[in-house]
Amino acid sequence: MEHATEYGDAAECLQAAQASMRQVKRLLSRPSVEAADESATLLREVEIQLGCVAAILRQNGSQPDARMRAGVEELQNEVAVLAAFFAGAGKMLSGWLDAVRSRRGGYTERGQAAPLTLVRKLSVEG
Amino acid sequence: MGNLYSILNSAAQSLQAFEQAIDVTQNNVTNANSPGYADQVPQLISQDYQSDTGINTGGVQEVTQDTRSTYADTAVQQQLSLQGMYQQLQTTLTPLQNVFDVSSDSAIPSALNALFQSFSQWSTQPSNANYQSAVIDAAQQTASAFQQAAVQLGQIQTAVTSNIQSTVTQINQDAAAIQSYNQQIAQSPQPNAGLSAQLENTLENLSSLANIQVLPGNGGTVTVLLGGQTALVEGDNVNAIQAVNDTASTAGNPGAAPTISIEDSNGNDITGEIGTGSLAGLLSVSNTFLPSLIGGGQQVGGLNTLAQGLADSVNTVLEGASTTSTPPYQAGSALFTYNAASPAGIAGSLAVSSTITGSQLAAADTGPPVVANGAALTLAGLDSSDPGPVDGQGFTAYFASLTSSVGNAVNNANTQVTAQSQLVAQAQSLQQQVSGVSLDEEAVRLVQFQSSYDAASKVVTVINDTLQSLLSIIPG
Repeated sequence: MEHATEYGDAAECLQAAQASMRQVKRLLSRPSVEAADESATLLREVEIQLGCVAAILRQNGSQPDARMRAGVEELQNEVAVLAAFFAGAGKMLSGWLDAVRSRRGGYTERGQAAPLTLVRKLSVEG
Repeated sequence: MGNLYSILNSAAQSLQAFEQAIDVTQNNVTNANSPGYADQVPQLISQDYQSDTGINTGGVQEVTQDTRSTYADTAVQQQLSLQGMYQQLQTTLTPLQNVFDVSSDSAIPSALNALFQSFSQWSTQPSNANYQSAVIDAAQQTASAFQQAAVQLGQIQTAVTSNIQSTVTQINQDAAAIQSYNQQIAQSPQPNAGLSAQLENTLENLSSLANIQVLPGNGGTVTVLLGGQTALVEGDNVNAIQAVNDTASTAGNPGAAPTISIEDSNGNDITGEIGTGSLAGLLSVSNTFLPSLIGGGQQVGGLNTLAQGLADSVNTVLEGASTTSTPPYQAGSALFTYNAASPAGIAGSLAVSSTITGSQLAAADTGPPVVANGAALTLAGLDSSDPGPVDGQGFTAYFASLTSSVGNAVNNANTQVTAQSQLVAQAQSLQQQVSGVSLDEEAVRLVQFQSSYDAASKVVTVINDTLQSLLSIIPG
């Protein structure tokens, strides 16, 4: 009976991870810096929730469970989509930044886009 | 007089400038939801004092500035191009899952299962006419399943070829439209936001069809390069492309579908330059993926390899066995036939020998020692023999590997389509956010996005590892 309760806890953790992942998907569908930051926080929660599932199952010994396995596989598909999204976004943003850098500061001697530097502006009046 | 005239003239010009500024604002409001439209910002600048005439002191002149960010447009186009490719792959590859379905009720696995069961049953009573007849029936079902799969793949190949032709036609139509916009923009005395929006909309549509590079020209006109190298639209010129069947590609592989190449207006092969867009997706399916299954170019195709492997293995056993288990031994007949002259058409031509009868099925292995049902037993165990008869695998396992390659390709396309639709939304959102801001502000916003995504991306990698270990903990 105790085993069933703990096993139920694992299922609850998995459901919480799935709910967080749904929220991440919703957030990323309307891209903004704030949404991206919030997604990162939620993803850390997913990481913790899945860690809990793994810890509970390891402790109690896992039984074949088609429903839980399907849930994990579904999450895996969603993570694959996220990974593809972040890989594509990283590529796009770095290409875009390179274009902005080269337009702003030209190219280095090695032919790379000039790095962006922070220039503090000082205004003196009077 | 000079002064009075210049004051009046200056006032008139100022009024005209403000009127134009109001028009621009009105235009922005009207086109707020028009696809491809970028806000026009009216800028009022002082005109120089002309000392020689004394005209135009302190007046203003309206200069309309397009808020479009060069790279923002490029980013949207690139993401649309990737989306176009993955959507095309998803649409084209999904029907293949009907042919390559590993479930027991799908045609080929189910026919193979029935065939090996019939061999097994026959091995229990080799002279039983009903069992012999069941073997021939099962063989006919198997041949029919292969033929049907070949027909279905042929239909998909035909549809893909037709899609390539229509995509090339769309690309040429978009190129012609862009050329027309270029002409209108060149003739327009001042920037025309409507034309610019139409041009951008057409460029985005073209991006979803193929990977293009847009080079800004004079006064808002553009040069469009296909794959970054071939000029598709250059000022007033359109270099139409065409899809060509490369018949030389099938030399030595009769019956195989030719590779399709894309040529520019001078007949140069530019297929290698088509990297993304729906055309790239179609070319990849037509020239690489389908040939790996049903043959094409120099490939025989997995389905044909399987059909030939099955026919040859079964025939070899039967022809090397005897219909009687006592002398005089009588060699058995081949069960399957196929057109060996067309390696890429073997699955489509696989059939049961029209002359074979149940009594011609040879069940006896003449040994020594002689085993009355030895050949029938060998046939019954053929699918599970080690190493297997088709590239070291059994027939069912080989078919499963084909199914797996189709399934993986479809899954990958599904994943990429979902991710890509978010990337398009992101690129479009950033396009809106950076329109009209300075390069520095654009860079700051991009760096913010980059660091936020970096943080999230690292967590995703950890989550993926955790999910992998979870799957190993939970037995299936």
